[in-house]
Order: sequence, then C-alpha cells, then structure tokens
Amino acid sequence: MDDAGTPLIRVRDLCRDYSVSRRREGVRGGVVDLLRPRRETLRAVDRVSFDVASGEMVGYIGANGAGKSTTIKMLTGILTPTSGTVDVGGLVPWRDRGHYTRHIGAVFGQRTQLWWDLAVVESFRLLQKIYEVPDADYRRQLGRLDELLGLGEFLHQPVRKLSLGQRMRCELAAALLHAPRLLFLDEPTIGLDVVAKESVRTFLRDIRESQGTTVLLTTHDLGDIQQLCRRVIIIDHGRVLYDGDLEGLRARVDDRVALHVELREPVPSAALAAATAGLPVQWREAAGLLHVADFSRRDVRGAEVIKRVVNAQAVLDLRLAEQSIEEIVRGIYRRGDAGELP
Amino acid sequence: MTANLVSLGVQLLVLSAVFSKVESLRGWSYDQVLFIYGFSLLPLGLFNLVSVNLYGFSEQYIIEGDFDRILLRPVNPLAQILCSSFGTGGINELILGGAVMAYAGSRLGLDIGAAGFALLPLLAVSAALVYTGVFLGLTALSFWMEDRLGLAPPVYNVIRFSRYPVTIFSPLVRLLLTFVLPFAWVAFYPAAWYVGGEQWERVALLTPAVGGLTFGIGYLTWTRGVRRYTSTGS
Repeated sequence: MDDAGTPLIRVRDLCRDYSVSRRREGVRGGVVDLLRPRRETLRAVDRVSFDVASGEMVGYIGANGAGKSTTIKMLTGILTPTSGTVDVGGLVPWRDRGHYTRHIGAVFGQRTQLWWDLAVVESFRLLQKIYEVPDADYRRQLGRLDELLGLGEFLHQPVRKLSLGQRMRCELAAALLHAPRLLFLDEPTIGLDVVAKESVRTFLRDIRESQGTTVLLTTHDLGDIQQLCRRVIIIDHGRVLYDGDLEGLRARVDDRVALHVELREPVPSAALAAATAGLPVQWREAAGLLHVADFSRRDVRGAEVIKRVVNAQAVLDLRLAEQSIEEIVRGIYRRGDAGELP
Repeated sequence: MTANLVSLGVQLLVLSAVFSKVESLRGWSYDQVLFIYGFSLLPLGLFNLVSVNLYGFSEQYIIEGDFDRILLRPVNPLAQILCSSFGTGGINELILGGAVMAYAGSRLGLDIGAAGFALLPLLAVSAALVYTGVFLGLTALSFWMEDRLGLAPPVYNVIRFSRYPVTIFSPLVRLLLTFVLPFAWVAFYPAAWYVGGEQWERVALLTPAVGGLTFGIGYLTWTRGVRRYTSTGS
C-alpha cells in the first residue's frame, strides 16, 4: 500500500444508486405493493472524482443525505458502487476486502465497533487477534494510544458503561490498534461536548504528525474541519461542489458581508432601504433599533453603504461581519450548484 | 434448554404412539425409524450450534445495519456471523441423538463396523451442511428483500418430514425432498445405509456431495447478496 508520489486514494466517476420502493397507503396498498412494487432509483453519489495524497487530512462535508456516508462506505469496501472506480494503493476496497481492511481503520460515530458487553481491553485483545497484530506491536501501539487518549481509567470497564466521550476515545483507539495507513472517520465528534471534541481533535492532529496516517473525515461540525483539514471537499446531491483549501472557498464565493446597524431611535427597515436606494443592498426585515444589511463586497464598498446610513439616520454603533465558513458552506448548499461559482 | 429437551421428548412420544397403532411404515420397523430419528438429531444439533445467528440475521445485521462492522474486518463475513454466538441447545440434540441411535441399534442388533463408525461424523457433518446451505440461502435473500419474507419457519417445519423414511411419501414429495429441498439427505438417505441394507449404500455415500453442493449454492447466494448490501441511511 505504499507508493510515494502517486495519490494514495484515487476515486474516478464514482456512482451509487439506491432502489427504493415507494409504499402505497393502507391495507389494500400493502397487498398491491406485494404484487407490483413501485420502485424508483435514486442516485446517492453522482460521478464523484478526487485524489488524496498520502499523509493528507481531508474533510468531506455535506448536508444530511448529500452522499457523504455512502462515499465513505464505498471507500471502506462496505458498499459496492454502481459504477466508477476506487483505487487505494493498488487495491479495490469492495473486491479485495479481506486484504484491504487490514490497512484501514474506520470510526463511525453513530455505531460502535466494540463489543458492548466486554471490557474495553478485551475488545482490544479480540481486535488484536482479528488483525493478527504481533504482541510487541500491540503493546507499543496501545501504550502510545493510551498516552494520547488517556484510556487507562476505563480500560477495564465494559463498553456499555462508558460515556459517549470515553467511548469515542475507545473507538479511535480500536480503529488504530493495527496501525493502519488510512483512517476513515464518519462524524467522529457527533454528540460530544466541547472538551471531548477538543481532545478528539488534538488526538487526530497528533496521530497524523506522529504516524503519518492519511485521514478522510466527514462531519457536520465545521470546527473539526477548520482545526484539522487544510483541504475540504464539499458534496451536495451526490456531486462534488468544491474541492480545495478552506480559505480559498471564501475567495470563490461572492464575499458577502453583513452590516449590523444600531440606531438611536427605532425606524422601519423601509427607511433604511430608502437611504441605500440604488445600491445592491438587502435589508433584513426588522424594525426597531437593530438592522442588518446584506451585500456583496464585490458589488459595493462597505464605506459607501456606511456613509449613506450614517447620513440618513442617527447611528449609535456599526459592525461589519464577514460570513463564517459555516455560512459560506450553507450558502453553497442552498445554491446546490458549483457551476455558478466563478 | 429445557424447552428444547421437552420438545425432543414429545417427538419421541409421537413416534412411539404412531407405532403403537401400526406394525411398520411401508416395511420400516419402529426400531429402524427410531435409528433414523436418532441420526437426524446429529446434523440438526451441529446446525443448531450456529443456526441462531442466521435466524436473527435480517433484523440485526441488515435492518439495523450492523453488517457494516462485519465488512470492516479482515475475516470472512460468514465466519464472523456464524461464530458470533453458539446455540447450546445443539449439544442436547447431539447427545440425545447418539443415545437414541445406540438404543435403537442395540434393539436391532446392529453392527455398523469400524468403517461405518468412522463414516458417521462425515455423514453427520455433510448432512449439517445441507441444513446450513438451505438456511444460508434463505437468510441471504434478505439482502434482496427489504421486508422479511419469513420463509425460514415454514421450511424449518419441513425438517420434520425428513425424519421419516421418504419411501412412505408420494413420489412427488419424495422428488421434492431429494432434489429441491434436499432434506431427505439430512437423515434418511445416510441413516438408511446403516439400518436398511446395502441397497442404500450408493445413495448414502452421495451425502457429502449433496452437502457440499447445497452449501455451495447457499454460499454463492450469500456472496452475491453481500455485494448487494445497501447498508442503512447514515
């Protein structure tokens, strides 16, 4: 699985269809469904292509149902694609599953990889046997993971007694016991509190630096991405909308800003709209002391908008807010089409 | 465990009740039928050691999506499923089957010889492969059907027929039990060799081939199903 220079993961035109039966209603509908089911095909992943270099940490993000998990499941060999190719260091995940799974680790935040009733350390022992990890390597790796994740305190407790944060630390350790080259994380911080999230993120940074593990991670939490990944792939309706670095994303969208205005006296928003008449500025429906104007810096300068507002109204305070990465991504989801991006 | 023993006892009672009314079933005596019944418990016991994992498969692994975890590990998925728990009731069937065979055998004055004794485990394992193949194939259908079809329980009931000499059934049923749902091979054909004489030898010795073939078909269906696995939503 090692070939410096060429990408570790190569995905080309990957597609996955699901056939869903649409149920009819009622008892009669149920009988009809049995005889003549209504089926339709949904495309969950649509011609997705990308490369991941060895040692990269890539964020794979998208709204619910965008096709993130389906992609990850094809890359881990769980699902067979409808069409397209995946090559990971010369192996095809779903075809060479037995061999391939030795080289990868996976954490699915919503689902445990551990044995519910066994003590954590027993689960680890079983995984050691399953992955045929030599004793010396196992001890070394467990020691390293324990040092980074602080597992010692609950290593002998059954998995079902652990808190979500503790369990997630165990899941990460379990996925890395056989020192895989490649780690897939599906929502690794889901449901975790701020402190637990932070420890997972710190751990992932450490593991990449110390072991050179390549990581592909899906998440809803853009904080994960901002702290961990230089590169992000945004997917929506099964298609790749954006593939590049996180800051580049801001330059590629309209660079929208929001001007927050606090007034001395309450006025209807129409009064402010009148002040900026002729400029491409939208005032959010609001009345009273606080108003917000949305515009794109590409169309109009902030100073121009501020000047008009200050001249027309008695202003107490002003604040110009750039869009957060989250808002940018949300905007991309809403438009749902990268073709519009300049 | 006790429920399992009670049900085995009831089956034995039914058998002796039938033979209290008739002398023989198409030429098969009570002791011969008893021996066949005893033999039938060996493959059933072996199969029941692992069968619990197949019955709940659709529910636990397909609908809940637990099969993801199985596919992420570098061990054959079927081996992981079959070994995830063992049905201890199977041990009862193995012990009782051996005891019934010994009892019936002694009443028949049977001497199966060293070769017959040595072949017994092979025949039992082959017959267990017939069970496993059939139920594996049925289980694998859940990769195609989202709704549980519930085929396994009715098929499981057919097993009862397999404990009697198939010669007592109509030619059609015989044909079905021999070639379509090959349960005639899980008890009667191999056991008939021990109690029915030389004429059954060739059929009995085909049992490993039938076991291999049935399991092969079941396993092929399974691997095709695994490729179709669609996992759950997230």
